[in-house]
Amino acid sequence: MTDAVSTATRPGRPAISGVVRRLPEYLMIWVPLLFSAAHLVSFSLWTIWISFTPSTLVPVSGWVGLRNYTAVMASRNWQIAFDNLLLFGSAFVLLSLVTGLVLAILLDQRIRGENVLRSIFLYPLAVSFVVTGTVWSWLLNPGIGIQKLVHDLGWTSFRFDWLVNRDMAIWTIVIAAIWQSSGFAMALFLAGLRSVDADIIKAAQIDGAGPIRIYRRVILPTLWPITITVVVVQLQFAISAFDLVRALTNGGPGIATQLPALVVYDLMFQRGLLGRGAAAAVLMLLILLAVLLPYAAWRYFRRATHA
Amino acid sequence: MPITTTRRRLLAGSVAALALPAFARAQGAVKPRLTAISQWSAGSDGAAITALGKKFEEKGGIWQHSPVPGFTTEMMNKLRAQIIAGDPPACSQLKGPEIAAWSKIAPTVNLDAVVASAGYEKVVAPDLARLHKPGGKWIALPLQIYSTNMLFLSKRAMDKAKADKIPVTWADFNDLAEKMKAGGITYPIANGGTRPDDGQKFEASFAGISPASYRAAIMDLDKKALEGPEIKAAFAQVRKIADWMDPNVGAQPYATNLKRFVDGDMGMMIMGGWAQGVLRNAGFKFDDFMIAPGPSDNTKPVFLLNADAFIFWQRSEPDLQAGQTLMAQLVMDPAIQTMYSQITGSIPVRTDVDLSGAGWSDGQRRTASALKDAVANNQAVLSLAHNMAQENGLTAAMIDVITEYVKNKTITPEQAVTRLAEAVEGAR
Repeated sequence: MTDAVSTATRPGRPAISGVVRRLPEYLMIWVPLLFSAAHLVSFSLWTIWISFTPSTLVPVSGWVGLRNYTAVMASRNWQIAFDNLLLFGSAFVLLSLVTGLVLAILLDQRIRGENVLRSIFLYPLAVSFVVTGTVWSWLLNPGIGIQKLVHDLGWTSFRFDWLVNRDMAIWTIVIAAIWQSSGFAMALFLAGLRSVDADIIKAAQIDGAGPIRIYRRVILPTLWPITITVVVVQLQFAISAFDLVRALTNGGPGIATQLPALVVYDLMFQRGLLGRGAAAAVLMLLILLAVLLPYAAWRYFRRATHA
Repeated sequence: MPITTTRRRLLAGSVAALALPAFARAQGAVKPRLTAISQWSAGSDGAAITALGKKFEEKGGIWQHSPVPGFTTEMMNKLRAQIIAGDPPACSQLKGPEIAAWSKIAPTVNLDAVVASAGYEKVVAPDLARLHKPGGKWIALPLQIYSTNMLFLSKRAMDKAKADKIPVTWADFNDLAEKMKAGGITYPIANGGTRPDDGQKFEASFAGISPASYRAAIMDLDKKALEGPEIKAAFAQVRKIADWMDPNVGAQPYATNLKRFVDGDMGMMIMGGWAQGVLRNAGFKFDDFMIAPGPSDNTKPVFLLNADAFIFWQRSEPDLQAGQTLMAQLVMDPAIQTMYSQITGSIPVRTDVDLSGAGWSDGQRRTASALKDAVANNQAVLSLAHNMAQENGLTAAMIDVITEYVKNKTITPEQAVTRLAEAVEGAR
């Protein structure tokens, strides 16, 4: 701090040469940062503007107030999408968290072949969501997938037709999404588990705590920051989920598995209603902010108390 | 030194070379050129438009077609980008009421003169012609026609049901489905699970029950017709069809089930005429199945029109303008329409083309004669499921209701009617 101040206040050549010397560093960081910020902010502002115009096939100027918003929120598609988002978001985040944590704890037992297992659990993350969706759409199809396999094995009363069942179809997306991303949660949790100070664990052992008690009272409380990070990352994925659903159910059966991102795409590019699509996109942004702002506040608060 | 003037000569030469095209243009000898975009890149569609391009080149033109593979919407995104950039193609694929909608965002070419000189208007179904002349002027030209409500019958399933009569009315159709079910066919209806697929079941039912009421409700959005007894009966018929379908199909396209259909595990299919081309490409024979117009309660054929078309965008370049005129002449030409439809399995737009020749199939002949009869009886109507009856926004809102109804058996026909009317109200 003091060094920077003194450099700045010192007159003449040395300060300038310092700036020149550090110019490449500034360029490295600030140019891309400014560029992407301008990109993000300008297009967000543009979308917000479009959402208040009567644009249909192409953007036009004009002002319709909140009409696009009321139309979107009154539509059955959006209502179903919103309900689905609540269900999918909470189920997916919670279950992937639990799955990830359990996998991490199991892997943490210094077992043989840990590297291989870790790679296997992490591997789905390397697969594109479109591929995940397509593969699961075959596996879950009752006519050709798991149900048929079990039938062919002899258990003919077995039923697993969630993919074509209106009430259960949203859970197929949860299953596929968990398969894809619980490895991510696992990796973060595993890193957290490994970073717990071995001395604390030893101390707990000396005090006579069993393994379950050590996990519950000593190790897991240190995982809070990681848990919050995983929740936020998974939530923002859940809110913007698009490719997985499009490949797996395409919003069907009927419109039972609509999600906000599908509605935005549908309004903008299939129905040719840019204004309404933009309004739906802004609503999605608001949902994201509702998740991210508390997170930012939490981090700020935490840093303030720790400093 | 004889070559000292090289530079000056070169300059003069290049000026002359540059002036040459302008000179040629002034002479009226401009070579027609056409920039076109469409989604037709592969299969019979790709082959057909490539053949059209060859004909264009044979007439001395330069053919510059850029296909945008995938869904129609992707082609539309490219078109939108080009229009916003101020550089629309000379001609692009577009169909139905979208022609009117898009013609509002960029200037189009008035084709009245070229259409009049070909005497085209007399040989096109009136409802179809209306779509291509929003505001009273021809700005687009239909290229080929499909019916979306053809009835395909599996020969083997008919044998199992011990039936040989092609159903004419919906009552006949329902009887035959019951017979097939009794004959051991678990799913008498072969189906896909896509949105247009569900939409086709509805429009075939509605127009088959009452074409007049279909026209009023779906095409003119008449409030009374939208809540009338005919549309309720149509939803009830859709429920019957849905109960005969394989629920495991999910979101697969109809073509997935073609083999089960031909094998007689599934009996009937309500599908567009294009399925004939798909069946043929998949290696099935014509005597594996029968094709007839979809059921019609007044026994006269009802024709649900789906037509591909080209719209012509205004360009100032003389070579592109010449290309547009040439393209318009080709598209209206009976020989070109014959060539095109024989490749894709559709039928020509012109009602005066003779389909008795060897290049045509029985299915195409039956479709064409159904169109003629339907036009004569005012029973040729525009397809909802394939974006011919309404603009995309309204269509999608209506199909939402229909596809949900097909999949959710707890919705009653009365509820479906109310929801459809609400969806129309909300999307307008």
